[in-house]
Amino acid sequence: MKHFKYLLTSLLLLSSSLATAASLQLQLQSDTANPTHPTMGDWMHFNSVITNTGQQPIEGLVAWISLVEVTPGKEQPMDLEDWSAHKAVTGTTLQSDASLQTQWPMRLIQSGDYRVVISATDRNNKTVFTSPTLQFHVAQKPVVESARILPVALGIPLLIGGLLGVQKFRRRHKTG
Amino acid sequence: MNACTLIAKKERRALLQNQRGLAWLLAYSGILSAFALLLISNQELSLLDNAQVVYMMAGTVTAAGALIAVIMGADAYAGERERGTLVPLLTAPISTVELLMGKAAGLASAWGIMYLLAIPYLWAVGAGGQNLGQAIFYLGLFGTPVVLGFGYLAMALSARSGSVMSSLLTSLIVLLFSASPLLIGPGLRNSAVGKALDAVNPFSGALNTYDAVIIDSDPLTSQLGRLALVLIWLGLMFGVARLSARRPVFR
Amino acid sequence: MLIDANHLALTLDGNTILKDVSLHMKKGDVYGLLGPNGAGKSTTIALLLGLYSPDKGHLQRFSEQDTDIVAIRQRIGVMPEFAGFYEWMSAREYLIWYAGFYGGLQAQPDSLLERVGLSRTGSQPVVQFSRGMKQRLALARSLVHAPELLILDEPTNGLDPRGRREIHDLLIELATKEQVGILLCTHLLDDVERLCTRVGIIDDGRTVLEDDLEHLLRGSGRPRYRLHMTDVPEGRPLPPLVHLLEWDDAWWTFEVDLHKGMTMGKIWEDLLIHGWSFDEIHIESNTLEARYLELTGTEKPAQQEKAA
Repeated sequence: MKHFKYLLTSLLLLSSSLATAASLQLQLQSDTANPTHPTMGDWMHFNSVITNTGQQPIEGLVAWISLVEVTPGKEQPMDLEDWSAHKAVTGTTLQSDASLQTQWPMRLIQSGDYRVVISATDRNNKTVFTSPTLQFHVAQKPVVESARILPVALGIPLLIGGLLGVQKFRRRHKTG
Repeated sequence: MNACTLIAKKERRALLQNQRGLAWLLAYSGILSAFALLLISNQELSLLDNAQVVYMMAGTVTAAGALIAVIMGADAYAGERERGTLVPLLTAPISTVELLMGKAAGLASAWGIMYLLAIPYLWAVGAGGQNLGQAIFYLGLFGTPVVLGFGYLAMALSARSGSVMSSLLTSLIVLLFSASPLLIGPGLRNSAVGKALDAVNPFSGALNTYDAVIIDSDPLTSQLGRLALVLIWLGLMFGVARLSARRPVFR
Repeated sequence: MLIDANHLALTLDGNTILKDVSLHMKKGDVYGLLGPNGAGKSTTIALLLGLYSPDKGHLQRFSEQDTDIVAIRQRIGVMPEFAGFYEWMSAREYLIWYAGFYGGLQAQPDSLLERVGLSRTGSQPVVQFSRGMKQRLALARSLVHAPELLILDEPTNGLDPRGRREIHDLLIELATKEQVGILLCTHLLDDVERLCTRVGIIDDGRTVLEDDLEHLLRGSGRPRYRLHMTDVPEGRPLPPLVHLLEWDDAWWTFEVDLHKGMTMGKIWEDLLIHGWSFDEIHIESNTLEARYLELTGTEKPAQQEKAA
């Protein structure tokens, strides 16, 4: 009997907690205009929909985008500083059953395999909701080419050196 | 041809036809070449790394340009004095303002040559990356006042002291001090003193702008404060040079 | 008047450099400005060129109406003591460039170079010039605009005797034929005696003497010279105005009468024409040197020269 009382109390507490907890559903899709074979320097856009599936309005919603490199041997979270200026949505209120659509632009800075995910939480709850992840590959684009650098780096000093030589020759010639 | 143009023409010829001037240009291009060649070993730079490289190349051009400008500025009056060519200029029928303007124009054309020489280097390291056009444009817009400002500072000291060594050393100390926030790293730059120094330091101003526009693709409107800083620096240094050049040491 | 300067005073950085300097020159004058080192000669020249402004005194160049220093410099040619050039230029290029300040060369650069004895080196870079050649080029530079007043600071420094003579001849020609006023700042009293019609001595920032050379020398008796003969001139006649006093082996002592228009240079030439061959001249008493030492007291200036 004593055990039954404890069980009842626990169930009551749990049900009241569930009644006030936020419930968010996150969807994430790659924009249809995105390149099929993205290369360094391309722009990609990701569209997210965050829906309040709970019965209470959500206040102080925070949603953010994360990028993780999953290139074999280089697995690591990425600092988005130089990839995107649009990194989060903050302070939004979302009524029950309402949705928030967001587009996340991103410039592809480095080659490799990446996974992108949207996360969301709110002011009152400790739960973090996440979207399904999207994975994409960024192809390498050579940005420093010796074919460009060598002629310049060697040619210009040689040109100036040649001018110096001509000056010396002309000076000698004048003397002679 | 007026006196100012005559002097500017001579200064430009001294850079392009005089062996010493060509040697300075060779040293300048050598610095840029060495930096560019270092990059060849790394073929797999990210766009960010590449922008960083373009940013660093723009910074190197500004620093090397300022160094050559300081050398030329220190030589402008004191070098002429030491070689015995200042008195013929001062006794010619020209005013001290015309003389200064000629020297200043000569320095500006020397920087023009250095700027033109820098463009192939920027292209070589940055053509495959981002913001190459911005790099070239902002190097002109921000690098020019910074480089010329240092040149005019050296010119002022040169006219005032009459000694190449003294004006060169003093100008170099100021140049090194201006570049010190970059040498001491971001940690110290974020301190209150570092931030205050950055706010009034034209060299930092130009480099922070390169960072903002080349790496972060910021627009010009966000850089107007720094543009004002480098322009004030240029105006101030030209004013100081004009004051000193009114009565240069000639004996 | 070319220069009318009276009681000029100048203090620089707290040091009084000039206390009371006066200088008067007219067209065709060859004015010797003398004085010990640090007496204020160069500062006086700098004042005349407008590089400084006098604290006190009256300074007029050309006429009372001429006050614009840039316009005044247009009429003055200057040869500074230290002749510097852009050595990567050729002599011809340099003269053409420098003449640009004066609105262009008044004569062909080659004729100007020929005039100073550099006709065959016009296309040579100045870096290859000897000191004497640079002195000649400096003189050419001072003449690019056919000036009315020529200010020369130690113009014969670094020149060999022949070069000195050629420069002297050119200066005499400029003064006599073209009526150019020449202000000659030198330590060589022989140069002054040979070239100048007027002399000013500055000591410790003051003009201690300013007079016509002829009057100065006559006023203190006939100047006396000791010449070293290269052969014994037995039986040869002396030119007029020269009187033999005594001889001791190769050293022969003469007194000279200086009449108006006669310079020591002309006297030496007359002696050579009369077959008197000498290679050294020592200035004895009753000369400019004696007067100079009497007035300045301290330093003995250069007193001998090798005869050309």
